[in-house]
Parts: sequence; structure tokens; C-alpha cells
Amino acid sequence: MAARNRQSVRLGARFAALAALLAGLAAAPVRAEDLKLGMVVPVTGAAAESGRFAQWGAQLAAEEVNAAGGVLGRKLVLVTEDDQTSNPGGVAAFNRLASDASIVAFLGSIRSTQTQAMDPDVRRVAKPVFFGGTDPELTRSGDPWLFRCRPNDAYSAKVIAAFGVNELKLKKWAVVYSTDAFGSNGHKHLVEELKAAGAEVVTEQGYANQATDFTPVVLAIKGSPADVIGSYFTFEQDLGIFARQLRQLGVRTPWVGSPSIVATTALRLSGPALYGTYGIADFNADSSPEARAFADAYKAAHKAGADNFSSWTYDAVKLAARAINTAKSTDPQAVRAAILAIRGYKGVEGTYNFDANGDGLHGYNIVKNDNGKVVFIKHIEFAP
Amino acid sequence: MTVLLQLLFQGVGIGAVYALVALGFVLIYRATNVVNFAQGQFAVVGAYGMVVTTADLGLPYWLGILITLAVMALFGALFNLGVYYPLRNRSFLPVVISTIGASIFITNIILGVYGPEPSMLAPMLDAPGISLGNLFLDAQYLTIIAVTLALVALQYLFFEHTLLGKRMQAVSQDKEMASLLGIKVGWMIMLTFIYSAMLGGIAGILVAPILFVSVGLGGQIALKAFAATIIGGFGDVPGAIVGGIAIGVIETFGAYYISVPYKDAFAFIVLFAFLLLRPSGLFGEKVSQKA
Repeated sequence: MAARNRQSVRLGARFAALAALLAGLAAAPVRAEDLKLGMVVPVTGAAAESGRFAQWGAQLAAEEVNAAGGVLGRKLVLVTEDDQTSNPGGVAAFNRLASDASIVAFLGSIRSTQTQAMDPDVRRVAKPVFFGGTDPELTRSGDPWLFRCRPNDAYSAKVIAAFGVNELKLKKWAVVYSTDAFGSNGHKHLVEELKAAGAEVVTEQGYANQATDFTPVVLAIKGSPADVIGSYFTFEQDLGIFARQLRQLGVRTPWVGSPSIVATTALRLSGPALYGTYGIADFNADSSPEARAFADAYKAAHKAGADNFSSWTYDAVKLAARAINTAKSTDPQAVRAAILAIRGYKGVEGTYNFDANGDGLHGYNIVKNDNGKVVFIKHIEFAP
Repeated sequence: MTVLLQLLFQGVGIGAVYALVALGFVLIYRATNVVNFAQGQFAVVGAYGMVVTTADLGLPYWLGILITLAVMALFGALFNLGVYYPLRNRSFLPVVISTIGASIFITNIILGVYGPEPSMLAPMLDAPGISLGNLFLDAQYLTIIAVTLALVALQYLFFEHTLLGKRMQAVSQDKEMASLLGIKVGWMIMLTFIYSAMLGGIAGILVAPILFVSVGLGGQIALKAFAATIIGGFGDVPGAIVGGIAIGVIETFGAYYISVPYKDAFAFIVLFAFLLLRPSGLFGEKVSQKA
């Protein structure tokens, strides 16, 4: 009997180890007096790699907050749930976290489509949710609990258009975009901004995520009079396949892409196919001393280059800690007021000035892929 | 004209991959009367085999392929023993669920061991491809088409002109009769699983340099391959090949001339049409005959 018990304990331990392995988390024990932030993050599915970066960024911020005395004198801990890189998964993960009443605030998704799916539950739970999706509509639909830690795509489209038309002097655009919420809104804004800037959109090519072949898109661009490409890619694997086929079929026009074009994974998968392209990046290590310090600390801890997947969660944790400390309370309304009052806070993504909608950032960096190295060109800031 | 040829080349190339995975579906279905929903994961295991041997261990490409194929053969045998064999006398459904379970299990083991980062695999040939005027023939797609043709030819010779192949055919046609004639049915099924796993592995090895290597690779291909088997006529070998290539070509042309966002839909629109109008597929026998 004792032997069997031991055996089942051992078996149980193995299953627990496997579960921890699969979740990719070595969860630290959470104590009742700790101050908890819930984090919805992809551990499995297409965006699982970026989910790991998001956790590393948030963890780094939590460690720094705790080293500086924590939040309201309590230790800040992160509680994570896997969103499986899907909308239903994101909603389920958020609700599992929300069922824990001691969680004070949340980090939502960097995916606009997931944030949109979670929105009704965010309103119902009525606690602050920091998120990274860049679809402008998310903060314009009247949800008072959403706080964006990246510049939205109204800005990204403005910057892509302004840079391409005014600096590169290119007026015939091919726009390539994912047909999900993020890509189709980016597409809509980019077309509007290009028209406003006096440029012409000669072809608009949408594609469904997890595509296997971009030949039809590339041929359409090749057959059009486009002299520049503007793009909104959601997943780096899609971007990698597109970039290679674009070059193979001999298209060498300049290309200004949304932030995924300079994401670490995209640079690794695409290699030379992305050399010479321009991207807009909410995060760039050379854009400020704060960004440089974060990139160095991140590299020291994880032997990897920081990108926007980790920088926004880093800022979100810092902003949450700051707002709760300023509010001197974990009451959701008080924390909300404290977040909206944040002005001139220098995060690693940029300088935060929250507007009434809950948008914290209002500008983008322009960068260039110089033989695989991402080089900072300039920062373009707009009034909130 | 160039556009037409480029689309055709690309469609046949990706279709050949669907065809290889579809062949694996069909062979196992013929031998066991069940659908193996882990067939797509066989491709993932093959792709990771190449990443481990060539990228991680730094072995030469040809050696990596040999080792990966050997591993796939072993994997097919273990898959038969663990997933199919214990349930061989049960009905259709428990075995199908068993293969779905195996597929989820394989996915998560790879995710646990290898992590979620997509990996890269170098293409088989060093040359990027052949340019004919405005037409570009990607070397990897050329390899895929050549290997698929060679495999189909070899498979034909094996099944039609060797005793072992004929025994395997006999088992797929009537297990009891084959058994009465002294054919070891269990071994023939074992061989079928080994060969199907190797086919899946080859599909993975071939497509990895194009689509990158991640656990999501299998699902992308398997769904189309499954549609291909139905269009071709479930259980029909030439049907699987024609169905796979047809889906590749239809979706590529549909994407260019009609709509890129609905590219994935074209395969399934054709599938629906077949299910409604010709459920037995292009080459399929009537279901009642099979049963």
C-alpha cells in the first residue's frame, strides 16, 4: 500500500513536471499578501514564441518593481493563463483570471482581435486591463477599462504614409495586409492616410493568416505599377514566406512595414529577404536611454534581443505598479483615475501621456533593416 | 502567360505536398479502414528530425534525411503498436479518436521539448532556383515535384510488381481472405504504418524549408490533404495524388483571379461540391462496395 502510494505520488510529480513544462512556466509560489497582476498570454498556438517574450518582459519589470519596494509595500506577482493564440482561448483565459477576485489589474493581449473578443468581459469585470493591440477602435468604443501601452494604428498608418510619401518620395503604393482585425484596420487607415497625403493606392492585397503561399499576392504587386509596398502582417511566419517569395519573383521595390517587420523572429526567419526594408517600430533600443537600459537588462537575462512583445508588457507592469502606488489603493476606479492622470512617464516604448480614451502613446519610431541590423532613423510624435 | 505558368508551378508544388500527406491517409485507410488524423503530425516529426540532425547536430543533409527516415520508420511502427494495434478489433470511432489523441500528444511533446519558436531548415539544394525570363522556378518546389513523381512511380512498381506489394494490396481488399491465404495481416498493417509515417516524414522534410518548422505545420497541410483524399475518392491512390495537386492548383489560381483572403476556402468549396454531387470522389468506388 505504502509502495503504491509512493508510486502514485511519483507519478503525480511527473505529471506536474510535464504540465509545468508544457505551460513553459516555472510558476513562483503566490502568497495571500502578494499583489497579483493577471496576464493573458499565448503559451501554445501560433504566437507561442512571442508569448514567451511577453512573459520575460513582464517578469523583468516585476523584479525591478519588487526590488524598489513593491506595490503598496506588497510584492508584485504575475499570474498567467494561456490564451492558445485564439480568441475563445483569450476570453476563457481572461475569465479564469477574473474569477480570482484578488487580482487587481490585468495584462491583456498584443493581438487586437483577441482584445476585441475580450472586450465585453473586460467591461463586466470592471478592472484595469493593459493591452498591446493596435486597432484604434479598441479604445474608441467606450470601454473605460482598456489602457493601451503601444501607439495605435491611426499613428502607425500616419507614420508609414508620412515617411513613404514625404521622405522616400514614393507615391504609388501596394498595400498588403492580414484580413484579421489588426490587419484590416491597419489597411483601412493606411489607405485613408495615403490618399490624404496625395499618394495613390494601386493595389490592395489581403491574405488570411497562416498562409502557405504568397505567389498570387506577389504576382499582383509585380503586375501593378507600385513603386513602394506598405504592409500590415500579423504573424512573422507569414511575413517570412511573403518576403522570400517577393524577392524570388524579383520584386525589389522599397517596403515600409508595420512593427512585425522588425520583430526578432521575423529578422531570424527572413534574413536577407528583409534587408533594406523600412519598418515602424514602437520599440527600438536606440530610441531613448530607458529603452537602451531595458534592452541591455533583457539581453543579459535571456540572451535575446528585446522587441515590442516584451517592451509593452514591461511598460504595462511598471505603469500598473505606478498607478496603484499613486492611487494608494487597489480600488479599480482609483487606479483607473491614476492611470489616466499619468503624464510624461518615460517608458521603454516611449513617453506615456494617457488621453481620455486610454491611449498611452502617440508616436512611432522609423527604423531600417540594414543588413539584418535594425537601425533607428527618427521618432515621429503626434499630439494626443 | 508567365503569370499563368508561375501560378501553375506554385500550385503543383504545394499540391504535391498535399498529395504526399494524402497518400499516407489513403494507405492507412485501405489497410485498416480508419482515418489517421495524426498524419499531419508525421510531417511535423519529419521536419523536426531534419532540424535536429542538420541544424542542431550539424550532420550533412543526406545523412540527416537517412536518419530522419529511419526515425520515421520506427515512429510508424511505434504508432501502430501504441495507437492502432490495441484497438484493432474495435469499431471505427475509438480508433479515430485514438489517432486524434495521438496527434495532440505529439504536438505537445514537441512543444514541450523543442519550444514554440519556429525553426529554419536550409533548402535541399544550394541553388535558389531557375529563372526563365520572368518565370522563377524555386529549387525547393522543383525538388518537391521531382520527389513526389519518383515516389509515385516507385510505389506503383512496388504494389503492382512485387509479392510483398501484392500481399499488402490483398490485405487492404479483404483481410479475412488474405489471412486464409496465409498472409500475415498484422505484419502487412505494420508495414503500412511504417511506410505512411515515412511518406509523412518526407512531406515534412520537403516542405520545411518553405513554410518553416513549427508544430502548426501539420495542421495546415493535413486539412488540405484530407480534402484531397475525399476529392480523389477516399481510399484511392491515384485519386489522392490527383486530388492533392488539384487542390494546390485550384487554391493558387482562385487566390490570384478571385480572392486571396478566401484562398483556403476554395479547397473546401470544391470539397463541398464533391460531397454533394459526387461523394465517391473522382476515382472512388461506391461506399457500399468498400463496406
